[in-house]
Order: sequence, then structure tokens, then C-alpha cells
Amino acid sequence: MTGRRRLERRAPSPAAPRSPRGSRSRPAGEEPRGQSRSRAPAPGTLDLSVTIGPLRLRNPVLTASGTFGYGDEYAHVMDVAALGGVITKTVTLAPRAGNPPGRIAETPSGMLNSIGLENVGLARFVSEKLPRLRALKATVVASIGGETPRELEELLETLGAEPGIAGFEINFSCPNVAAGGARYWAVPRRLERTLARLRTLTRRALIAKLSPDVTSIGDLARACEQGGADAVTAANTFVGMAVDLFAMRSRLGRATGGLSGPAIKPLALARCHECARAVRIPVLGSGGIMTARDALEYVAVGATAVQVGTANFIRPDAALRIVEGMRAFLAERGVRSIARWRGALLEAPDAQDGARAQRRSTQVVARPRPRRRSVQVAAPPRPGRRSAAGVPSSRARRRGAQVAASSRPRRRSAR
Amino acid sequence: MIAAPRAWRQTAGVIARQAPHGAGHWWLDLDVPASFAPPAPGQFVQLLLPPAASPVLLPRPMSVAAVTRRRGGLRLGFLYAPVGAGTRALAALPAGDRVEVLGPLGHGYPLERPGTPVLVAGGRGIAPLLFAADALARQGRRCELVFGARSRDLLVGLDDARRRLAAMGGRLHLSTDDGSRGVRGNVVDVLERLAPRLAFPLVLHACGPHAMLKAVARWGLRHGASTWLAMESVMACGTGVCRGCPLPRSASAVAGFDGARTPSLHGNREWAMCCTEGPVFEAGELDWERIE
Repeated sequence: MTGRRRLERRAPSPAAPRSPRGSRSRPAGEEPRGQSRSRAPAPGTLDLSVTIGPLRLRNPVLTASGTFGYGDEYAHVMDVAALGGVITKTVTLAPRAGNPPGRIAETPSGMLNSIGLENVGLARFVSEKLPRLRALKATVVASIGGETPRELEELLETLGAEPGIAGFEINFSCPNVAAGGARYWAVPRRLERTLARLRTLTRRALIAKLSPDVTSIGDLARACEQGGADAVTAANTFVGMAVDLFAMRSRLGRATGGLSGPAIKPLALARCHECARAVRIPVLGSGGIMTARDALEYVAVGATAVQVGTANFIRPDAALRIVEGMRAFLAERGVRSIARWRGALLEAPDAQDGARAQRRSTQVVARPRPRRRSVQVAAPPRPGRRSAAGVPSSRARRRGAQVAASSRPRRRSAR
Repeated sequence: MIAAPRAWRQTAGVIARQAPHGAGHWWLDLDVPASFAPPAPGQFVQLLLPPAASPVLLPRPMSVAAVTRRRGGLRLGFLYAPVGAGTRALAALPAGDRVEVLGPLGHGYPLERPGTPVLVAGGRGIAPLLFAADALARQGRRCELVFGARSRDLLVGLDDARRRLAAMGGRLHLSTDDGSRGVRGNVVDVLERLAPRLAFPLVLHACGPHAMLKAVARWGLRHGASTWLAMESVMACGTGVCRGCPLPRSASAVAGFDGARTPSLHGNREWAMCCTEGPVFEAGELDWERIE
């Protein structure tokens, strides 16, 4: 818990000078520590912790799979344990060499990648990577990928008993492999059956990472929920292309790649919103998050946690900066808990979303009131719907207060 | 291959000087604090422009052309051509502006190897070799510099190279494709003429377009010279996490690949990552048939 304490120590001081509201020269979410408004809550009282199934995270910011290696590559420049969690590069049963070059192509406000799930394979992940991951003291979510349900079961049979893994993200959505990629897994029945089988193999968090390139990501999310997933991630990269007109060929080794970065944020934000409307389990928002304000937009449309990906390539400590920026942004608005921010812009499903949706309320569940102190008052509970954390919101508030008041160990830690 | 300790940092650098360097190229002096580890010749950094000034998303890898100590830190020199959106925006930044610099990254040239050092540069590939010539001079060693380009106008930084070599007693050998300066032909033609006059073993350190590096690598392998080549690749992170810059290993390197000994950060059995295992590779490590 040292990382958590360190963050709390860095929380804005109530005595800090108040910066003039009218002359804001930088986005409020990126203000450095110590410059927040005088009405900010006392240090340590802002609760950023979130719950994902059996997993409690000290804050809602994780590093996206494939953008942070195995956690230790950046450990010499930042406190990895201060992140909400680290999602490791997807591991498969056998090592994979990955795709031929080019694997990267920058595009306007984004980048295409075609890595092809290069990874060291299960055996070396266990013998070489896991010991280093444990030494980081970070909350580790292992990303696993397979071409068949059976392969995923085999991975979980081995990893499910390994200490130091708090949860698993199942990569159902790699756009850059010939088999077992996004297209194969974008079948609700297959997802549901696979997750039902995986559910019997572990009590740790199971997170299903979905492709955005589908007709209805909400349908896939519902299938994952039915199968027993603790959460879904919305979303992986979008399939994209870039052409070198002079060489008259793709700028990537394969025809297509996965697009990430700010270019996809509005798209992925809508996918996240769709998932949050479709399921009661938590949604992890991912896609183009570069700043704390990006992250808070995802939380506002219903994400319980967020994943930072491409930004890690630009600034290794991007995810940590986003945690600090979220803390500053919420503190200066008097918001005491990330749970109060969550879902402020989440709209109830409309009739077009099918029979399942019609059983729900059609009213807007909470008005966005980000600038008023009154957001400290809990939003009214959504009719017939539990909070996005999967627990009644009053209980969540009590638990949040307990955790903030004392640095007691997490009660339901999987580790 | 043993993993080097990771010494890189990301820190703010202050532009001390930007000046035209001839043939459409620019010289950039960047001041970094003492916390920045001194780069070695052949290593590179990732330059990230301030968001307001940057039309691109990702940082740009750039090899270091000079390092001098100054009070409070280091001054890094870069020789670059504003050919893309990122480098054009960099060229527009005046002295005093800040850029984020992440490094030093990768492995440099093994200048300490015994033998006669021969530096082989193509066009703006001269950049890391200017730095290598400085480093050899500091070791009290002489070197030969073979410098080729399409025409005399593209022998960028020639005066600078001449000055640095004169200081160390090194010799400069020029070639141009059109014969407008030095030998008519390419750097391999120069190597063919030069090699019989040099004391073996030779250690070649090369940087330039991949087509030139291919030819130098093959020449070095054929003549039993220890040959080291600084490779280029599109990169995202520069630190090994994104796995975005693979280069094909040679058949012998694949056969000799010891997965248990090679840190995975350095690539896999089939591909070597340019950023962490390179950018400087020995000729025998790569499959030159598959390199474009």
C-alpha cells in the first residue's frame, strides 16, 4: 500500500493558493499538484478506489495491454505500484514471433500497429516475467489470448494458481492475427460459453476485452456478463489502413492494423457508453486517453476504470500523470469519490436496444453537474439498476469511506 | 547479449542553438540536466515536441551527433533534415524552447574493439560517426572516415567532419555517385581501394541508408572485417515495450539464439528489436536479404 500512501501525500493541500478561474492557461485536469482550489477536500479524503468483481483497485487507471510491457520496463522511472493496475502484454500458450515489419505507422492524431501478439509464451512468462511482476508490488492483471476456448482454459489452468496475479483480461479482440483474433471472438454465443468455462477455473477477476469493430458491442458485453465475466473492456483498437502511395503498398507489413490514440477517442467513448448501458458489470474504458480529462469523460459515460495505452509510448509515466490529474480535477470541484462521478452522463438504453432494454427505465439517470458542489450529494439510485461497481451505491459509499479513513488492507484482495 | 542496465530518463531539454548545416540540414544543440546519462556514439534519443508545437503524436528517434559536458549537465548535438512533419516542426523551434528528451536508448558502436577503426557514412548518416570520431580521438586513436553521398552538395557537414578528423590525425575519403567530389562511385568502392593500405583487422562502423548498409555489411562479411551498422526503423516507444521495430535475424543468429540467455526485451528468435537490441548491429546478426 506504499503507492497509495504516496499518492495521498501528494494530494493537493487545502492551503494551496487559489488560481484564478478565469485565467486558466492549461487544462484543469493537468494542473500540477499543489495548485488546486482552497475548497479542495483535505488530503487523503478523495477516494479514487474502484471495485471490479473481486478486485479492488487503489485508483481507476490501468495500463493497457501491449503498451507497458511486463511492468518492469518502466519501473526505473515511475512507481508502478501507484497505478490502479498493470495489464501485461498478452501471453499465449506458445511464444509468438509477431508480424513482419512494418509494425507501426503514425496517422493523423493516432497510430496503427500490427504487432501480431509477439510474446514470450506461457512457460517463460511464468519463469521469467511473473517473479519480476511480483517484485513490483503492483496490481497485476495478466492478459491472455488464445485461438480457441481450450487454449484459454489451458492458460488459466496454469496461471489461475500463480500468486501475484490479481485478475485476468481475456484478449478477445486482437485485430492483427490470422486466427483467434477479433473476428473469431465477435460471436456472443462463443464469448458466453467460453467465459462460462473460464469462470469455473478462477475466482479472480475475469475481464473480457472486446473489439469495437462490431455491429453492437453491447450485445457482446451482455454475452460476457451472462457467461460470468466480472467486467468488459471497451475497447481494443479499430481496424485501420495506411497506404504508401509512392511504394504503392500498405505502410504496414500486413494490409491492416489496429488504430489507437486520440483519433479513436470519440469512437471508443461511444462504445464504452454503449457497454455501460448494456451491462451491470463494470466497464473498463479504453481508447485515446491522453489526459485526466479524457479519463474522466470515460468515467462520466459509465466506465468504472480506464486503460491508458498509446500515451505510454509518448510519456512513460503518462498513466501516473493521469491519476494525479484526475485527483486534482475532482478535488477542485469538491468531488470526494470517483464513484460520484461515474455514470453522470450515462443514459438509460432506448427502445431500439431491444426487449432487454425496454425493461429498464428510459429516463436520464443523472444530470451532469460537474461544476456545482452539489455533486457531493449522491446521484439518485438508478431505478432497477445497481451502480456500475456492481454493489448498491450506499454500500459502496460506506466502503469507500472506510478505506479512506484507514489504510487497512483490501478485504477482497485476490493476492 | 547481456541486457544493459536501463539508464534512460525522460527530461526537459532546452534548445541552445538551431542553425542550418548545409544541404537542407540543421544542427540542433540541446541542453539536458546532469541527471541525463551521457549517450555513447550510436545511441539515440526520442525527441518529443511540446503539444502546442507538434503536428505529430509520437516522439521522433534521433541519433546523437555530439556530446559535450557543460556546467549543470550535457549539451547534445543533433544533425537532422526537416523532411517530415515532425522534423519540420522541430526546425521551427527557436533557441530557448523546450523539448522532452528520452534517452539514451539502445546500444552504440563498440569503439573499444581492437583493430583499425573505419567509419563509413552515407549522407546524413554522418551524424553518429562525427560523435564516434570525437570519442576515438579522446581515446587517442586515429580513424579513417569514408564519407559518400549522391553528389558533393549532399556531403552534409563535410567541413565539420574535416575539422574533427584533422584534430585527431584521421583521414577523410570521399565518394559521390556523380563524381562531383572524391571517388566516382560509392563507399564500397572506396573501401575496396582503401583496405589494402590499412592494418588489419579492420573494424567498420557504418551509418546511412539501408541500401548502403547492406553493401557495407556484405563487404565486411566477405573480407572478415568486424562490421557494425546503425539501423533505422519506424518506432513508437523506443524502449522495447511496443515491439514495433523488428529487424530480421540472420539464419546463423536464429540458430544460435539462446532464448534463456537473451532478455526478451531484446527481441525474439526471429526478430531483433531495433530500439533495444540495436540500433547498432553486427553484420552477421541480421538477414540482409530481408532488410529493405
